[in-house]
Amino acid sequence: MSGREAAGGAAPDTPGRAAADGMVLTCRDVSFSYEEARAPIPALRDVSFELGAGGSLALMGASGSGKSTLLQVVRGLDAPEAGAVLLDGAGLADARYGALQREVGLVFQAPELQLFAATARDDVAFGPRRLGWPEEQVTPAVDDALDLVGLPAARFAARHPYTLSGGEQRRLALAGVLAMRPRLLLLDEPFVSLDPSTRRQLAGILERLKAAGVTLLLATHDADLAWALCDELLVLREGRVVAAGAWDFSPAAGRLLAVNRLREPFLVDLWRRLGRDPQRAPRTAAEAAEALA
Amino acid sequence: MSSSPDETAPLFDISGLHYRYVGAQADALADLDLEVQEGEFVALVGANGSGKSTLARLLGGLERPAAARHAVACGHDLLTETGRLAARRDVGVLFQNPENQLVAQCVEDDVAFGLENLAWPAADIRRRVDEMLARFGLEGLRRREPHLLSGGQKQRTALAGVIALPRRVLVLDEPTAMLDPAGRDEVLEAVRELRDEGLAIVYITQEMDETAGADRVIALERGTEAYAGDAAGLFADVALVRRLGLGLPAAGELGLALAERGRGFRGLPLTMGELLDALAGAP
Repeated sequence: MSGREAAGGAAPDTPGRAAADGMVLTCRDVSFSYEEARAPIPALRDVSFELGAGGSLALMGASGSGKSTLLQVVRGLDAPEAGAVLLDGAGLADARYGALQREVGLVFQAPELQLFAATARDDVAFGPRRLGWPEEQVTPAVDDALDLVGLPAARFAARHPYTLSGGEQRRLALAGVLAMRPRLLLLDEPFVSLDPSTRRQLAGILERLKAAGVTLLLATHDADLAWALCDELLVLREGRVVAAGAWDFSPAAGRLLAVNRLREPFLVDLWRRLGRDPQRAPRTAAEAAEALA
Repeated sequence: MSSSPDETAPLFDISGLHYRYVGAQADALADLDLEVQEGEFVALVGANGSGKSTLARLLGGLERPAAARHAVACGHDLLTETGRLAARRDVGVLFQNPENQLVAQCVEDDVAFGLENLAWPAADIRRRVDEMLARFGLEGLRRREPHLLSGGQKQRTALAGVIALPRRVLVLDEPTAMLDPAGRDEVLEAVRELRDEGLAIVYITQEMDETAGADRVIALERGTEAYAGDAAGLFADVALVRRLGLGLPAAGELGLALAERGRGFRGLPLTMGELLDALAGAP
């Protein structure tokens, strides 16, 4: 697809993203520390994992375990002091790396705090314009992104971001990232502070992105949404990977979750209590009801 | 504790409260009534933009009401400047975004900040700060600069700073939003302890499970009260829950999905225990 060759100045991919191919993310022995006056504070230590194209990984761990730091390092906002982040196999020294980084989207915690433009359209267009896309490509990308997050341009493009509700602002901020058509989407606690109805909408948006082939890396404390949306799990503890790969609901894995201040998804807990195989627990209430009805 | 003119009066006694943001087309709060008694734990729910955080700021004396028949917090008249200033001492407000609350160079200074403003003796401040750091598992981070804390650590630091001061009522705006599941349980436990010590708690949340421990649930819709009663009563009215942009606890969502597939229950199960009982009892 065109996205592979995209350098600054052209929009990758075609609208509709039906055939978007997700990016492969590889972290190899990544370490990172924050600098403080007295001593460096290690935040990531020898983090290694691979997330396949179109895969979906829930990034979990106690408060302060390094989840947000990992997302920022993957996005290239912080450089690892050791190890490497590879995008489609390309590292920092690779000529393709800059273009690939532009296909990584990061949705920060509470991204609505960073809305700044006078209209929803200008806010969403900021990223594509900064990448130097021609205006005739920016407009459809913005329209698509607004549609995708349920803020159709006809009704919302001219609105001032501050006149939107909190949930609408969160979705607008997400649209600002989606307009750049990321092939790898990093989300930092995207459900926090959203009302349950908006959470369901956002989960639906992420389901559609996943179905379209976008690779997802989702940092969250919400075990139920992580289980509903993500095929794999990565648990960080004090910056180290302590579990990675397919979801595991063995007793040992349960103890590991508890030690890391996490809990099992509700439906997994239910399946165990019903004497069923927790490994085969349903992902959603609708699936569970089908199985139990 | 400071004394109020009438010790038996509600801690919040609000009637006909209005508030509108500059340039907004509609009231953020419209004709709102609220009474909260000493030792009461009130959960405040509602969709994004329904007015919860605005109400929190008004209750804490941080904004001037546009109008109200009366608006009294801990005996202080929120319609007057001096009343609002006095209310700020008695009402502890935890903001939704802890970034807005952390002011000092390190965690322990931040927790001590309010006490220093009240000119507590240094030894008392140290004792109180140690107690708060222990309560929220922050001892190992006491010298850490706030901007290097994780989201959950910031939230716990901000909460420790609010609770460190002697208060009569706490208004907590999504105090567990950034916390891991164990941290969430710890904060809920701390809130229940504070309630048992006689504080009134107004607890804003988007987590429907968290309303279970509240004495009363109030749901806002476009700045006005749409429901007041117990949690079970709110969740029994599924149409209202949906209209308000809310949800059901996980057990309730599954119970509802089962009911839609013809498997009815006498009452909608709201907890794991109730769901298991319902599944065992139903044919």
